[in-house]
Amino acid sequence: MTERPPLPPAPQRPPGASAPAQQPRALPATSQPLPPAIEARSLARQFATEGQVVQALRGVDLCIAQGEAVAIVGKSGAGKSTLLNLIGALDRTYDGELRVFGQELRRLPDRALSRFRNQQIGFVFQSFNLLPHLSVGDNVMLAGSFGGTLSGGELRRRAQGLLDEMGLGDRFGQRPTQLSGGERQRVAIARALLMQPPLLVCDEPTGSLDGATAAQILAILHDIRTRLGTTLVVVTHDPLVAAEMQRTVTLEAGRVVQPAVGPPDAWPAKETP
Amino acid sequence: MKPGRLVSLLAANLKQSRVRALLAMVGIVVGTAMLTFFVGLGEGLRERVLNRIFPVNQLEIEPQAVQLFGIEQRALQEPLDDARVAQVAKLPGVVRAFGKQKSAFPARLWGGRELIGYNLFTEAFFDGMPVAMLRPELEAIEDVPTKLARARTGKPTRCDVDLDCPAGALCEAGACAAIVWAERFREDAVIVLPCDKDADCSSGACRDGRCLVLGPGGQEAAQAPVRCLLGAPAKDGRSLDYENERGTLAVRCDTSPAELNASGWCADKGACPAQTYCAGDHPDTALGWCETPLPAVINPLLLEVFNSDMARSLGAAPIASVAALYGIRFHVALGDSYFSQDAAKVRQQYKQAVIVGFSRKAPELGVALPLPLVRHFNARFRGAEAARSYDAVLLETANNEAIPQVIGQAEGLGFSLSRKSRAARTFGTVVFVVSLALVLLAAVVLAVAAVQIAQTFAMLVHERRREIAILRAVGAARMDVAVLVLGEAALIGLCGGALGAGLARLAAWGVDVAARRVLHQVPLVPDGFFVFPWWAEGLAVLVALVFCVLGAMGPARRASRLDPAAVLAQT
Repeated sequence: MTERPPLPPAPQRPPGASAPAQQPRALPATSQPLPPAIEARSLARQFATEGQVVQALRGVDLCIAQGEAVAIVGKSGAGKSTLLNLIGALDRTYDGELRVFGQELRRLPDRALSRFRNQQIGFVFQSFNLLPHLSVGDNVMLAGSFGGTLSGGELRRRAQGLLDEMGLGDRFGQRPTQLSGGERQRVAIARALLMQPPLLVCDEPTGSLDGATAAQILAILHDIRTRLGTTLVVVTHDPLVAAEMQRTVTLEAGRVVQPAVGPPDAWPAKETP
Repeated sequence: MKPGRLVSLLAANLKQSRVRALLAMVGIVVGTAMLTFFVGLGEGLRERVLNRIFPVNQLEIEPQAVQLFGIEQRALQEPLDDARVAQVAKLPGVVRAFGKQKSAFPARLWGGRELIGYNLFTEAFFDGMPVAMLRPELEAIEDVPTKLARARTGKPTRCDVDLDCPAGALCEAGACAAIVWAERFREDAVIVLPCDKDADCSSGACRDGRCLVLGPGGQEAAQAPVRCLLGAPAKDGRSLDYENERGTLAVRCDTSPAELNASGWCADKGACPAQTYCAGDHPDTALGWCETPLPAVINPLLLEVFNSDMARSLGAAPIASVAALYGIRFHVALGDSYFSQDAAKVRQQYKQAVIVGFSRKAPELGVALPLPLVRHFNARFRGAEAARSYDAVLLETANNEAIPQVIGQAEGLGFSLSRKSRAARTFGTVVFVVSLALVLLAAVVLAVAAVQIAQTFAMLVHERRREIAILRAVGAARMDVAVLVLGEAALIGLCGGALGAGLARLAAWGVDVAARRVLHQVPLVPDGFFVFPWWAEGLAVLVALVFCVLGAMGPARRASRLDPAAVLAQT
């Protein structure tokens, strides 16, 4: 990756609190156990399609600490995306327990759940999912439309700052269709970071990119985690991407087949932030 | 969602799907245009046609008539006198009530030379109307307040004769004074009323062949009529006929006192005072009394009738406005008729009348005179009994809503609507029903447009499922998504409503222009058929907005219930 200005420090805040503007966030200390960002106990999810019931998750136990980078791997149909949607609060129909930053998502009404998603979670998708009729800047500012107390000017400044960090500062007014794949994904990351969420959920973030560009994106994600203490949950098929994470959780037929629950300080850290 | 961001997102969404939005808007534009157009047309017909011919909040009632062997007879046995009129005036919803008496004697009139170069001749019909009822309208049409204000601020101009004064003023006491024609429509005008006996006079008594002229308080007028000799040689040996500032010919009785005394016909004052003329038994004999012309009020619709077709067929130029007719005199022969040869010549009277105002309460084909004058003439030609009873009662109601109640109560007192009021009610009902039907038609078009909106938004929501899922992922609540969809529909409604209202105005203008070209010879056709009340455009936009939002409710609900996880998993 080329030289980029440093990411602004992001605050760590309790779940449900709105994002304050540009306050420094304390980096997670490595010497003491970190409170969990995600806790799943016997998490199950089933879908009824065409008269058949499909069990997508069958009692998943999972604990991810704040600031941790976790890869979720598995074959197609193993339940990776289902788990990601549950963690990302896009889906709250499940059995068992799921707490994200201590919040039982199932119990939140739609308005509160949407606010939680807006404030606590950033999404990065394989296909970028930028809105083509909005400019790059407007795409980045999208989350600011639905929550928080940031003024229009503050939103714009923050979006411009994020795009500057991504090396796309001069593309603010352009359309996403004018950008390359790597650039679009960087815009998507900027969008995910606008509200400074403590959790970044990535679904195949490098799946549509070539090797060099994928490496750039991974470097950015790594940088975000180390600098901001953001928890990273990445669904991937790519072993190289999984290898970049601190821990890998393997799903198979809706079950975790690789140990996922354990004291965070016992987990091998690839890099000390 | 923040309002500013909402507008920004809505604008971006509409721009993205502008073709579809424009297509969806077509129905709304057409429906709104129809709604505004028909509301404007209905209001226009009411205000510019109906209310012009039949004044608002006004009814004319007359004693109920029954058909007896094919002959119409009054059902009301007792005379319609002041007591009965007072009884009607006390009905709930009635503001004022006035008795009206029609002329019951033959009469003919002629005049118009000043206007078109030769005289027109016609049978004459008079309505005796209370001064208090017509005065406000006369002053409003004449714009008396403005006229008086202008006269107060201007410098007084010295004058000897009327010709020295500018238009709109006459010479009075050596100075030009603004003419207020409405003031001349008065009950104590100096009119000489011939009689043979007291019964020929509707009030007062017959003295020396003339009814005593009574003032408003019933007292004898201070100024006695002055006899004169019309056309008598003046000092220079000729009559002082001259043209006034409008180019009209004004006949003025002007002889020296000595000459008049010598003739034995005129009083010692000699000449008739200004603004009076010499009234006699016949215009040619020219012997009689100085008196003010009969103050005549005509219906402004007469001018329209004249301008629309008569003027062309008579080879005359159209008359620009009613103002050109103020002060125009015409000749009246009371007791004479162009159709009847058996009118008693001995009782005929020659008079002059002057147009002093315009009122829509005046008869369309006739002349309104102060009520006492018509009563006097009726007494003269038909006897005192004919002068006592009114023919109809004119009612002013508090508002249009009170009219049905007033009609019902009046019917209970033995009255029915006059033919004119019946026609007004019928026309009003027809206008209302037709307007309502057309507005309902517009509502149907709008309902169809709402269905079109619903289909369009259903497609848009389907196309934007992914976009909606992304919005949900970044924090949009269900309500936010619904607001976005409904907001887009509302914007289409606002724009469509505004465009429709504008289109209606444009169409109305086009219809008016076409109507002026095609119907300019048809009398009573107004300059414009449309009146757009202040609320018309607002209503149109509001209705368009409501229909659009209603149409988009279903799609908005579906959009808000999209499962973002499922949608994002599909791609």
